[in-house]
Amino acid sequence: MSSRQGISSQDCGNTFAERKIDSPLSSDELERYSRQIGPGVLTEQGQQQLRDATVLVTRAGGMGGPAALMMAMAGVGRILLAHGGTMISPDLNRQVLGNEQVLGKPRATHFAEYLRSMNRFIEVEAIDHEPDDEEAHQLAARSDLVVACPPTFKERLRLNRASVAAGIPFIDAAQWGISGTLMVLKSPRTACLECVYPTPPPFEELFPVVGAISSAIGSLAALEAIKVLSGTGDPLWGKMLSYDGNRGIPTVISLTRNPQCPCCQETAEDAE
Amino acid sequence: MKIHLILTGRAYQQGEQLPEQLELSDQSRLSDALAAITAALPEGESLQGSCLLALGGTHVGTVDQHQDPQLTEGQELLLIAPVAGG
Repeated sequence: MSSRQGISSQDCGNTFAERKIDSPLSSDELERYSRQIGPGVLTEQGQQQLRDATVLVTRAGGMGGPAALMMAMAGVGRILLAHGGTMISPDLNRQVLGNEQVLGKPRATHFAEYLRSMNRFIEVEAIDHEPDDEEAHQLAARSDLVVACPPTFKERLRLNRASVAAGIPFIDAAQWGISGTLMVLKSPRTACLECVYPTPPPFEELFPVVGAISSAIGSLAALEAIKVLSGTGDPLWGKMLSYDGNRGIPTVISLTRNPQCPCCQETAEDAE
Repeated sequence: MKIHLILTGRAYQQGEQLPEQLELSDQSRLSDALAAITAALPEGESLQGSCLLALGGTHVGTVDQHQDPQLTEGQELLLIAPVAGG
């Protein structure tokens, strides 16, 4: 892998390049993924790496849902899907894993079932609540990458801490109104979320949002996860993509590590 | 010196109250630009402290905690009011 934009995948430690591939893709798998294996897309080894990867997605609503769906369809082998509560009518403007028939039913169980129906080659584990600190660490330790899509910074920072502790990439997808942001981080090679937000910014849990931006940012989060896991292209390591939906303008900024960051300072010192 | 100003994210409405370009004296620093922005907002309004700042495409901190580099003619100052939202 290479990078034309500063931090490379090699800098971020290619967790997957050195992984022993247990078994080659079957002929059924090769057929299933034939449109995404080849020049300009994934290599066969990259597809195997996706199959052998575990991704934690929390939560699986407006952005986490499309992110999980695109990863499931692409062949990420194991998805841990955390989302508490039951589906309510206002969710239906953006939560693509649900539908009118799921109203009043637990989200995680039904969302996981839908994902399984989209790809017979993957496993999906439903977690019917939002992980606390301890469980977040346990789940991150079982994962190769975290896609964080909760509605609050408190939850995002918790997942960030768990990812830093586990030494795995962290993708943060966020939205408000018709705009959104996406970050691809792996501390200590890049900033961590706490370097960017030293204190949790205030944010309302019931925020306004149009589902189109949710799906757009969620799909881009999945694309970055697929790139990282399969070793394809140049992930947005250490960068934030901000999409201003009001003006239709995307901007990419390079994020700066905070050498005094209470979350990732210790990890950085260990790495030196 | 003129710098380009973009405010996006959670508080984009504030951006509609601000000019697209800020006119500053030579040798101005980021803190001078932020003071000029605050002065341009309606009375009683201020920028959110956790608003991210990026100068010329590089993150330089938040409104509350940031580096204070000297600005250059034509530079772009991007303010991203944080979004979470799941």
